[in-house]
Amino acid sequence: MSDLTLLKEKHINYIEALDKKKDDYEYWLSEHLRLNGVYWGLTALCILDAKHAFTRESVIEFVMNCWDPRSGGFGPFPRHDSHLLSTLSAVQILATYDSLAILEETNKLEDCTKFIISNQLPDGSFQGDRFGEVDTRFVYTALNALSILGKLSPEIVDPAVDFILKCYNFDGGFGLCPGAESHAAQAFTCLGALKIANKLDALTPKQIEETGWWLSERQTPGGGLNGRPSKLPDVCYSWWVLSSLSIIGKLDWIDYKGLRNFILEAQDKIKGGISDRPDNEVDVYHTVFGLAGLSLMGFYDLVPIDPTYCMPTSVTKTFKKYPYELNNQ
Amino acid sequence: MHGIKRKQYSREILKQKRLQDQLKIKTYNKLVDETLTIRDNKIFTSESLQLTSKVLELNPEFNTVWNYRRDIILQLQDTAPPEFWENELQFTMEKLKRFPKVYWIWNHRIWVLNNYSQASTKIWIRELSIVDKLLSMDARNYHGWHYRRLIVKNLETLKNQLMDKEELGYVTTVINKNISNYSAWHQRVQLITNLFKEHELNKKEMKKMVLDEISYITNAIYTDADDQSVWFYTNWFIENDIVRLVLTNEEYMKMLGEMKENIILINNDDLEFSGKENNWCLKMLIVIEGALKSTGHAVETDHTKEYLNKLIDLDPQRKNRYLYLLSK
Repeated sequence: MSDLTLLKEKHINYIEALDKKKDDYEYWLSEHLRLNGVYWGLTALCILDAKHAFTRESVIEFVMNCWDPRSGGFGPFPRHDSHLLSTLSAVQILATYDSLAILEETNKLEDCTKFIISNQLPDGSFQGDRFGEVDTRFVYTALNALSILGKLSPEIVDPAVDFILKCYNFDGGFGLCPGAESHAAQAFTCLGALKIANKLDALTPKQIEETGWWLSERQTPGGGLNGRPSKLPDVCYSWWVLSSLSIIGKLDWIDYKGLRNFILEAQDKIKGGISDRPDNEVDVYHTVFGLAGLSLMGFYDLVPIDPTYCMPTSVTKTFKKYPYELNNQ
Repeated sequence: MHGIKRKQYSREILKQKRLQDQLKIKTYNKLVDETLTIRDNKIFTSESLQLTSKVLELNPEFNTVWNYRRDIILQLQDTAPPEFWENELQFTMEKLKRFPKVYWIWNHRIWVLNNYSQASTKIWIRELSIVDKLLSMDARNYHGWHYRRLIVKNLETLKNQLMDKEELGYVTTVINKNISNYSAWHQRVQLITNLFKEHELNKKEMKKMVLDEISYITNAIYTDADDQSVWFYTNWFIENDIVRLVLTNEEYMKMLGEMKENIILINNDDLEFSGKENNWCLKMLIVIEGALKSTGHAVETDHTKEYLNKLIDLDPQRKNRYLYLLSK
């Protein structure tokens, strides 16, 4: 354990090489996650202060090629159908590169906004696309993207908040829809959505304490965090749990050192990258969420990350805060 | 990637893999291009449906192709033979067996059932037994439980009859098999809440349910006092409105007193056996003391501070939570 350290250079090299794996069959099988993957990779590089490892122009070009003219949203790969998940990734990547203006310049801003809003259902929830899957993930995704675009309004936010509150459970956690079991990733999406809506105070202090309790019990004896009781720890919960605790101001309700060691042990010391658990195969998803967790805990002078948006705070501080009339500059 | 062992390929093996991959990539990309091209040309035929089957066979996560498949089905449904929808259910079942955690497959199955206009109650009941089987193989599957709730809700609408009592029976069986099944404890809370909210019980039944539940919890904490599932459930039970409504203040106090006694017994046993007090016993004693105070009765001696100080040592990972509670 004594030689545990963050292998910054290896991780940068690992992420930089991700797009050079076109000889691998797996590269093609994961097209449906490519835009999300670019966002994860770029954010990981930002945390490591190595944004330059990606070529800005080619990334933006790729994002714009993922635009789906039939719906106005973004798909995860050129020719793929748009979905709220990939649309958020597109908006996040453009914001990180300070190039949201390209949406307006290419006449896509209005269509993109319309696409997001058109997926809101009468009960305030959002479906991921026109086929009707409802999940608090999509409420968060929609509010996040609209917030970055500065397009939130009470007509959208108020029913969305009502829906999120219905997903609050007896144990202080949140589920994917009303009645569904608490899950740490859903806690992040629900608390993140409330934070973006500036409605965290819709939960009572007692309710928030219960949330903090349930989240803090995600830490397992080995230091890693799980997503639900009696499940194995997994590096991605370093983000889902920690960001949730941070949003409610209870970040230090878990043990940092234990979690740091768990994340570091999941590094691939040869190839770089971080996996879900020690000795498993690494991927960019666990790499970014491991790094983001370390950043939230303040280790290794990493670039500060915003717990609500999972983007560098230097980027998110430029977003217009909702409700607009109070803060409009 | 979840749960896949890390491999360090040798240069030679990597070379071989790349060689094999070359052919696979070529076949796959050709098939994808062909499929997306006929989609762009708005071709909705049984041949195009076959093509989507081929792609999804290779990559069940390709949601754009699932979308195209649904568009084809919507076009073909009026002229489709009766077994068409059954085949579609069969198709998703094969995929689910191999990839039980892929969201897109679950979505498609739900979509199929919702659009299968001749789907009778019988078909939804069959679906319930399918989900029984899936959950018996993977008892915590998050999608599986979500799916179960969707099916039950639909069946309730079709039969115009609530199923909370039957479902509570199911959940009890699942918990009795494994007391750490938090998904089942979660569902227990939903069902009991519903039974009261929908007035499915008469006064006598309500009382019986609460009393039975108290002994169920007591048994559970004696069975495994280290498992957080039953403790989170106990925490809910102590503080929820149903119990406060059904029990008189006196009965409620009696329940809390007995729970406290049992928990202290378990804690003492642990102390004797392992030399350490039980974290969860202490956490729950704090909750019980809080509940006793809320009834308006003065608690003879307040132990909360003492418990919190003990927890700081016994459960150092969550030390700052206990410090926060002490500072309140």
